[in-house]
Amino acid sequence: MLKSTFTAFYRSFVRHPLYALLNLLGLSLGIAVFIALSLFYRFETSYESWSPKLPQIYAIGMRFHFPGMTDNTGDGSMGGLLEELKTAYPQTEGTRYWPNSVIVHKGADVFNEQIDLVDANFLTFFGVPVVYGNSANALSDPSHVVLSASLARKYFGVTNAVGRTMILNDEEGLKNYTVSAIIADLPKNSVMKLDILRLLTPQRTALKYNWHHWGSVQVGTYLKFKNRTEAYAFAAQFPAFTDRQAGQSFGADVMPHKVLELKLIPLADVHLISPKLKAAVISLGVVGIVALALALINYVNLATARAGLRAREVAVRKTLGAAPLVLRLQFILEALLTLLLAFVVALSFVELSLPLLNSAGGLSLKLDYHADAIWIASVLAIVMLAGLIAALYPAFALSAFKPAQVLASSRTPGGGRTAGILRTGLAMVQFTAVAVAFILIMGFMLQIHHIQNADIGFQRSNLMIVNSIRDNAVTQSQRDAFAVEARALPGVSYVTIANAIPGDTSMINNSSIVRPGQVDSATESPTVSSSIVGPDYFELLGTKVLVGRIFDVQRGEDQMWDDKTSDKDRVYSVVISRRTTKDMGFPSPQAALNQIARFNDHTVRIIGIVEDMRFYNPNEPIPAKLYAFDAHASDSVVGMVRYQGLSAPAMREKLQHLWRQIAPAVPFDVTSAADNLDKYYKPERDRTNLFTMGAGIAALIGCIGLYGMAAFNTGRRVREIGVRKVLGASAGQVVRLLLLQFLRPVAIAGLIAWPLGWLALQRWLSQFDDAIAMPLWVFPLASGIALAIALVTVAGVAFGAASSEPGKALRHE
Amino acid sequence: MTNLIELQNITRLYRSDEVETTALHNISLHIKRGEFVAIMGPSGCGKSTLLNILGTIDRPTSGAYLFDGTDLAKTSENQLAKHRAGHLGFIFQSFNLVDDLTIYENIELGLLYRSGLKGSRRKAIESAMDKVGIAHRARHFPHQLSGGQQQRAAIARAIVGSPDLILADEPTGNLDTENGAQVMQILQSLNAAGATIIMVTHSQSHADQARRQVDILDGQLVASVAQVL
Repeated sequence: MLKSTFTAFYRSFVRHPLYALLNLLGLSLGIAVFIALSLFYRFETSYESWSPKLPQIYAIGMRFHFPGMTDNTGDGSMGGLLEELKTAYPQTEGTRYWPNSVIVHKGADVFNEQIDLVDANFLTFFGVPVVYGNSANALSDPSHVVLSASLARKYFGVTNAVGRTMILNDEEGLKNYTVSAIIADLPKNSVMKLDILRLLTPQRTALKYNWHHWGSVQVGTYLKFKNRTEAYAFAAQFPAFTDRQAGQSFGADVMPHKVLELKLIPLADVHLISPKLKAAVISLGVVGIVALALALINYVNLATARAGLRAREVAVRKTLGAAPLVLRLQFILEALLTLLLAFVVALSFVELSLPLLNSAGGLSLKLDYHADAIWIASVLAIVMLAGLIAALYPAFALSAFKPAQVLASSRTPGGGRTAGILRTGLAMVQFTAVAVAFILIMGFMLQIHHIQNADIGFQRSNLMIVNSIRDNAVTQSQRDAFAVEARALPGVSYVTIANAIPGDTSMINNSSIVRPGQVDSATESPTVSSSIVGPDYFELLGTKVLVGRIFDVQRGEDQMWDDKTSDKDRVYSVVISRRTTKDMGFPSPQAALNQIARFNDHTVRIIGIVEDMRFYNPNEPIPAKLYAFDAHASDSVVGMVRYQGLSAPAMREKLQHLWRQIAPAVPFDVTSAADNLDKYYKPERDRTNLFTMGAGIAALIGCIGLYGMAAFNTGRRVREIGVRKVLGASAGQVVRLLLLQFLRPVAIAGLIAWPLGWLALQRWLSQFDDAIAMPLWVFPLASGIALAIALVTVAGVAFGAASSEPGKALRHE
Repeated sequence: MTNLIELQNITRLYRSDEVETTALHNISLHIKRGEFVAIMGPSGCGKSTLLNILGTIDRPTSGAYLFDGTDLAKTSENQLAKHRAGHLGFIFQSFNLVDDLTIYENIELGLLYRSGLKGSRRKAIESAMDKVGIAHRARHFPHQLSGGQQQRAAIARAIVGSPDLILADEPTGNLDTENGAQVMQILQSLNAAGATIIMVTHSQSHADQARRQVDILDGQLVASVAQVL
């Protein structure tokens, strides 16, 4: 019995290679997409799983409710929050993580790195894997640093660099530090990037004026609880705690917890905290499931179709005394063998395509058969289980043939009307999925092209961002010198210094703006994001001035206030954006011109209104902007250089040369504005690439299924075609007859896809603030492409059948 | 000799949506162990239906079918499968060999669904192949054989399990005269060795080689004549 099954399985490959290959290829492709997207899904949903304490750790998140601001939950918190929590709840077990930048000196060379200032218990709190040294006391001394293994190799050439010293330069100045421990490199799916760790000292926090400023966001704060219940009970006290601690930080009449909501986020959920990102990851997971489902549909279709061809065998076996149960077992066993083989082939497909997948999707997925054995086994189990369910139908259909009827007829049974309808129905389901996929792929590509090329209020090309300017080690005279000398470089048209640059949200500062006579309240006044800009800022960006004027370095009144010596009676000039005029309630930009308002305890006059500029994520609305002018801006500012007539690398090289002359002790760090913005577009592009690959393969699976069905149906109709031809039908008429039969379900599927594709695309587009209008032409085009692919797929079969000689066809059997 | 088969008032109706066709009407027939019966009659008279009922791949609408004293009319589908595996051998007009299996494996099918040891299986298959003279084609696939060879393989499959009854549905219908004669000769010798055979045929000369001829017309038994051999 078992041997007979293996024989039948083996023979089906040898004797019906086309059927077997179609079946195997379709299944393997579907399973491969399923495995690859499961890998992706697992990667995205297992962030921070390197920490053995993961289930007990929660990040404190903040959610702001200010008018005019999007109220997403962020995973950062105020620097001094943990200290305040510990004072109020002494049993609190927590730690902090504060990423900063640092300059590492190695001989004459300087390098930019990220340094993470953490509490002394950080390593034990997370259970960070320590390779050398002692995790309990590695961070107890402020003159110690902990390095990752790869950074140890970079600076010392060996992994065990414990006891070696290195020179770091950051806000605390140029100092010598001793390496106290080496930690393992964390996997890529980690929100935290632990490269250099150092103790967060009270001396350092004292340097930050807003360490206890409620509403500011600086660090990651993590708490540990025994279980979820304890965590929720603790979180329930947050509103009262916030009101006690924040007092009147948001205005006399505002309950702090109404505008600032503290939250506990399970550490595992931090990476997918954005609902949009989470939805994107889930939808890619769904694509994987759909691909598997399409492949199994193929399997059912081809298996039932072939069941007809095997009907005679079944009838003979039954006549010879095989019970239906035995036959069902045989067919299910055959199905499981096929699935197992397809799974192995799928694994090799995945292995072969991972490099491509990783580069197209911006990922670093890998299959590790040793470490992931259990995971692979469970994916196999899912596939086998789904396959088993799919195999039940053909198994039952096959074992149900009535031997007397089958043996009496010379015709191959098709499994009856039900099976025919089922096959057509399943093919329709497949092509609906294919057409929806085409609609979505085209919609995604149009939108991504749009956000990369839309008018975003400024010119993004030929623009360099000099991040080095921001470094604490850069002096005012160096900054001024750079601005002047860079302006003199050939090809450079403008240089400016400002703290508002495309693609960098680290400088954002939000405050309320209040018109005379309006209520000054954090819950009612419009919120604006303020930026400090130097000379030539708007000229450099090419910003459109709507009304009034922009800043003029010659006019003294344009110079902004100085926080230490500001004159409460003076009126300072500000420029605002179009969105701000709306939020402030002006009927038009014109109406806002020369109006007076209160901002940050200062009286300001609106001297000009500029067009909105999209500096950040195209998913988010453009924030309301207020610009103040500082001829020598110094706090957290970055340089921008506008150039023409030379390539980006050439420009970069000239700037680097200049930088080495002016500030050799500070690493040169320049990015182009286009690259800086690309970080918003890239994830969307990567996911679209993944989706396109998955959906493309799904389409291929659908075609394989359709081809198989066409070949089978045509095979069954050989005699009918022969009769038709004897009666005078031309080859063309026969082709038309067959094509109509195969393409009708595809055409119907193309129409069913329209409303489904519409809903899915509508939903996806709604996440963008700047979305394209629904591209109507995409719908008929997608259906047309699906139909064309189907046509090409079945045309060969139809022509082959139509051109056969009728005499031969009638001698058939 | 005892009756191997007793059919009592067997009727078989086929119902479709509107019409009811009587394929067999009140057929009663006794067949003794060791008999060789030829069933004759024009196309559509119900010969094949009768053979299918005898082979338990079709059930009578009414009437009793006793096989070796057991009433098969009320037996379950699985029991019938076991019955076929243990007691019956089938030979078809169109051979019905499984395309994907070799001749040896096709013959093995005749033993596959009954209990028995593998070692003795091989011997039985070889002996069946010898009896029909097909041993040299054991590793071939059906399509590589001539019609006569295929039918001989099919006969080997039918007899490999030493069944109590061999049912042959026009076994020579697809064969030329020479091959037909060969097949008849094999059936003759099987019968001489003790096998009970029921054969449907159109050929009077082949029917003459059976010991008894049963004539059916429009679903009814019209004659049952013992041949003088």
